[in-house]
Amino acid sequence: MSRKHYPVQFTGTGGEYFAIWIVNIALTLLTLGIYSAWAKVRTLRWFYGHTLIDGQAFAYLATPLQILKGRLIALAALVAYYAATYFAPMLALLFLLALFAALPWIVVSSLRFHARMSAYRGLRFDFTGTVGEAARIYVGLQLLFIPTLGLILPYLAYRQVRFIVDHTVYGQTSARYRGTLKPFWSVYLLAFALMLLPLAIVVYGFYQAYVLQAAGLPKEMVTAATAGTVGLGFLLFYLMIPVVSAFVMARTANLLYNASELGPVGFDCNQRARDMIWLYLSNLVLIALTVGLFIPWAKVRLARYRARRLAVNGPQDLGQFVAGQQQQSHATGSEMADLFDLNIGLT
Amino acid sequence: MTAFSGDLFDGRTSRAHPVHARVDAETLHIEGDGIALAIPLARIALAPPAGAARGVIHLPDHQELHSGDHAALATLADRLSGRTPERWARRLEGRPIYAVAALIVSAGILFAGLRWGVPAAAALAARTLPAGLESRIGTESLALMEKISLRPSGLPAAHQQALTAQLAARCGRQDCPPYRLLFRNSALFGANAMALPGGTIVVTDALVNLAQHDEEVLAVLAHELGHVRHRHSLRLALQGIGAGAILVAVTGDIGSVTDLAAGLPSLLLQTGYSRDMEREADAYALGWLHAACIPPRRFADILGRLDRSPSDTGLLDSHPGSRERIRPFIDAKDC
Repeated sequence: MSRKHYPVQFTGTGGEYFAIWIVNIALTLLTLGIYSAWAKVRTLRWFYGHTLIDGQAFAYLATPLQILKGRLIALAALVAYYAATYFAPMLALLFLLALFAALPWIVVSSLRFHARMSAYRGLRFDFTGTVGEAARIYVGLQLLFIPTLGLILPYLAYRQVRFIVDHTVYGQTSARYRGTLKPFWSVYLLAFALMLLPLAIVVYGFYQAYVLQAAGLPKEMVTAATAGTVGLGFLLFYLMIPVVSAFVMARTANLLYNASELGPVGFDCNQRARDMIWLYLSNLVLIALTVGLFIPWAKVRLARYRARRLAVNGPQDLGQFVAGQQQQSHATGSEMADLFDLNIGLT
Repeated sequence: MTAFSGDLFDGRTSRAHPVHARVDAETLHIEGDGIALAIPLARIALAPPAGAARGVIHLPDHQELHSGDHAALATLADRLSGRTPERWARRLEGRPIYAVAALIVSAGILFAGLRWGVPAAAALAARTLPAGLESRIGTESLALMEKISLRPSGLPAAHQQALTAQLAARCGRQDCPPYRLLFRNSALFGANAMALPGGTIVVTDALVNLAQHDEEVLAVLAHELGHVRHRHSLRLALQGIGAGAILVAVTGDIGSVTDLAAGLPSLLLQTGYSRDMEREADAYALGWLHAACIPPRRFADILGRLDRSPSDTGLLDSHPGSRERIRPFIDAKDC
């Protein structure tokens, strides 16, 4: 059977999204935040509706009232947390521990809600991961971060990708992840090396200062001679953070899609780290220069790039997927993940 | 009668069925290759499309009808009962003039809300919070400061007692908020005085040593009593929460990209808030000094000295231009 190549298309423009974005903000402010649930639905419906494969768009199914309910529950938790950090730091610590304990449930219910509210060609996605497995990955492995000096990161990223892909279901068809751990090591080793570069400069600066001081130079001269090197190191370090995160995101997206299969369908993702870094840095500068007004265009640029670099390989006819069972889902976990800024989804 | 074409998905497979649809008074008719459906309008739900993206009509049994014919979808939406907020939103999103209006409204609300709304709400909240909570916050902040950089005072006990007694004597004769005066030594805070929530005032040794007259210390304490009277520490903390919540709510959906850009305005705002509070505390100090028969010049003198010794950071950091601040104290007549 011959296979067909379906490019992913993103057809939205920044100008069109700007109108939606600014109306969302104005109405959210005028309604003291209540409209934010509608704003989220409008935004996602716009992005889904403009993402096309084989001429068919994705559909976002959540209703604003669902989102509003989840958001109010999550907000109550967030307010309690903020109040605790200001008025009773010990209580805030307990709260953080409770949040950490609830993390696996938040992860699973967030991924599940997101999947169940996403549809393509009239069929819904689903997520079947269990809280137990999420606990092993998002809490168990995370706890090993310090004892392993961060060397657990590649394995952690690999397990997260596998967890997300292996439990994603479209209709009745389950996705499979066929990737291995090894390529994750090369991504994270390079990322570590990039972060070490500025640190090495800082260490070199301090070493220089130590040598000059040992040679008997006065303190002021030593400071003047080495402050530049140390300052450069710190500057590079902060500049490196968006660079490295863009690099890791681009490479992880490639590793995720290229080793995933959804029944007869495979994926082709070839994001380039340098493109992603350029997009990130230029977006950051333009957003700062325009006091945030560039945000809609920045988001559209990212969406358009991701779509352009992604394609689907499948049979001549994509109409053969079969529906699974319809299930209910609540937005609380997903809204908690949003409000507490937990980065769960991978793109 | 409205007619349009689109793709029907039956909710059982991923096959797209090209169909024609038409709407009459009560019913949506869908016809295509081997398909003939008649669905009462009461049983369908239209998700208003966003922008130029295709619209989705939800039919019974998880069937979906997708169409890019926005004019027809708008007519259909008018027929359906129930005016959802989304339909109003769609109208607002459609015209550039509304986008401009939304921009002006948003900028106006944001500015007014952060400049006046948050401080007013914080002042109200500070009044309604129980006093016990405020003093607990004060105790916790003091414990934290003591851990970081407060050591027992090195001042002679007699001098400490004299200053405490002078302040108490003045406060016995005129109106003062409840307070507790503490002397501490601190390398980090330099010459400084701080009013904590609940009325605790901490004075550093360096400040007392900088003063050339006890009345100068009392003048600084009068300023701090102003902070206590207006519950500034608590209000500042509450304003930080409020401003942070607003900024996160507005910029939050973009995520980490703008965290850097969003941090700066909130810092500027905090500085702006504390400037207003310094003015309030100065006004209180001026009245207090006058009533206590202490020449207001004393405050100008020690402030000027703090200004000249830049290594003694702290008291002046977040304070409005000191020349502008000093003037009323110099111009004021002695009692």
